[in-house]
Amino acid sequence: MTLPSRWASQLAALAALLAAALIFGWWFGGPGWWLAGAALLYVGFTLRHLYWLDRALDGHRRVPLFETRGLWAEVFARVEKLRTKARNRKKKYHRLLREVRESTGALADGGIILNADHEIMWFNPAAARLLGLSLSTDIGHRIDNLLRHPDFAAYLKAPSGDGLTVASPRHETGWLHVQIIPYGTDQRLAIIRDVTNEKNVERTRRDFVANASHELRSPLTVISGYLEALGEAGDVPDAWRTPVAEMQRQADRMTRILRDLIELTRLESAEASADRDFVDVIGMLKPLVQEFQGRVGPSVELALETDAALLGKESELHSIFYNVVNNAVRFTPPGGSVKVVWRAIDGKAVFDVVDTGIGIAEEQIPRVTERFYRVDPGRSRASGGTGLGLAIVKHALQRHEGELVIASQEGKGSTFSCRFPRDRVVFRSDAVSAVL
Amino acid sequence: MEVEDLGHHISRRFNEDLERVRNSVLSMGGLIEEQLDRAVKALSDGDSQLGLQVAEDDVKVNRMEVSIDEECSRILATRAPTAGDLRLVIAIIKTITDLERIGDEAEKIGVLAARLASVERPSTNYRELRNLARHVKQMVHGALDAFARLDTKGALEVVKADNAVDEEYESIYRQGITFMMEDQRTITRMLDVTWVARALERIGDHAKNICEYVIFMVHGKDVRHIGIKNIEVEVEQGARRLESRT
Repeated sequence: MTLPSRWASQLAALAALLAAALIFGWWFGGPGWWLAGAALLYVGFTLRHLYWLDRALDGHRRVPLFETRGLWAEVFARVEKLRTKARNRKKKYHRLLREVRESTGALADGGIILNADHEIMWFNPAAARLLGLSLSTDIGHRIDNLLRHPDFAAYLKAPSGDGLTVASPRHETGWLHVQIIPYGTDQRLAIIRDVTNEKNVERTRRDFVANASHELRSPLTVISGYLEALGEAGDVPDAWRTPVAEMQRQADRMTRILRDLIELTRLESAEASADRDFVDVIGMLKPLVQEFQGRVGPSVELALETDAALLGKESELHSIFYNVVNNAVRFTPPGGSVKVVWRAIDGKAVFDVVDTGIGIAEEQIPRVTERFYRVDPGRSRASGGTGLGLAIVKHALQRHEGELVIASQEGKGSTFSCRFPRDRVVFRSDAVSAVL
Repeated sequence: MEVEDLGHHISRRFNEDLERVRNSVLSMGGLIEEQLDRAVKALSDGDSQLGLQVAEDDVKVNRMEVSIDEECSRILATRAPTAGDLRLVIAIIKTITDLERIGDEAEKIGVLAARLASVERPSTNYRELRNLARHVKQMVHGALDAFARLDTKGALEVVKADNAVDEEYESIYRQGITFMMEDQRTITRMLDVTWVARALERIGDHAKNICEYVIFMVHGKDVRHIGIKNIEVEVEQGARRLESRT
């Protein structure tokens, strides 16, 4: 290891001082005293620099230096360099922090940082505005003590993917969308968005569809009535027989579409969760399947693998089963088969409809439950569908906390599975033992 | 007493107990607010089903009251709290009684809303009632906020608002009498309307009581039946005492 030059010169200076003291001591006598004096001088010199180094580390700017080179000069230069660097870094972080604060402050969406105990750590001005929080009093409070809506409390305990829409605590007609995103260790970010407008637009749209459907239904009833009378009348010219029959078919279809639309808007505007009436699924499925068996088309068979019944709304469950089977029958050519299975998997009930029909291309599967979405427009219209059946199924299932799973292979057939959660399922054997 | 004061016990379990029971009071408050909201909605939308649902859900409120009450008794028996903690527990026991009464009044409004849904609605669609309901809802919200933040100033605001609510109730009452004298066919409906107004006015009183417990809890002063002026003085003195201590 080589000695840095600043140390070498320092040691050389010390050696020279001691040598000079020795020479003087030898010349004038008493070299011990001279040596001690020189050493004392050196200690004083070092102590003085130490004192100023201490001051410099305390933040004192101006340090009187005797030398511009050598050990002490370099030590002070390096201390100064470190301090400048730290100062610049601090400035940079300050600026960065201010920018982050300003940008989050400018956000229209509210953001709240929560710790593991749901206590508020920080929030931006938008959150304060949307929720009526105040920076001076609310930091450290549990958020569910200030936002007390039971739905929010439940969501906070178990945040699920899509977030939650709740009535605004500040404005009577306002709606807020809250989403909680976990990050870091045990911290969470709650994003709050004002969705009053979206809600209103949604409601206007729903009301419009509901009103339009109702208004269209009465004139259509009149038209259907006359068409029926025309179809049965004997004195219609032969050339008009086919058009009248076609008109009747189309009027029927229109009636069905309106009926489905009204059903769909009703499902959308109803409260989130369906009633929990006892529904005898087996008693419902038997006649339903028989109805399809009587028609021309693919063969339909029913396999009952469980005796489970459901807690739900009878009309909606019927609607689910009818629409899924109807859909399968329509897209399966004669000669094919449709199998309806009612089974249970670890406490959950599953309604499967397996067909050997035309199937659905993979990229279209997520879209088939959209309103009026048609995989093959020409074909589905010819088969007499309304385009709303699966949308109704999806909404009615949601109201029963169930889910629709679709698996399909183009050209081979599809499987539609309606899955019902455990707490909606009642097994016959349980029911009997409960009564006993 | 400040919120941080809750954190000064040697026994962590005691802190947790106090904090938990305080949180459950507020979640009971959330339930009450929702019940009140839905009852008023049932009235203004003429939704009899919702009204009956509210009446049915009152059992949830009652169940919460019982469980919080038990928890408080347990804390009193096993921890023997003193000073601020004792005031907290006492205030909670009183608060839940008032909350439960608010729940009962909401239940009453729900039943009345269901009944009113089946008769002809006035052209104003009960505007006065909806107005009164809005003020009362704000009072309940403010009272619970004050309880959560231990905010005596906020509590004072709510106590002050009670006068306006009482006046509104008076005017609905008078209006009802006029209607009934003019047209006897409206008597049944107007009686029900008066009952709703009465229930709302009572809810306002309960919200005011809760605020008085908040002031008691924070400053240790009983401010019941002493008049609004004196309450103001007490709150100000209390705030100054707290400031000088910190």
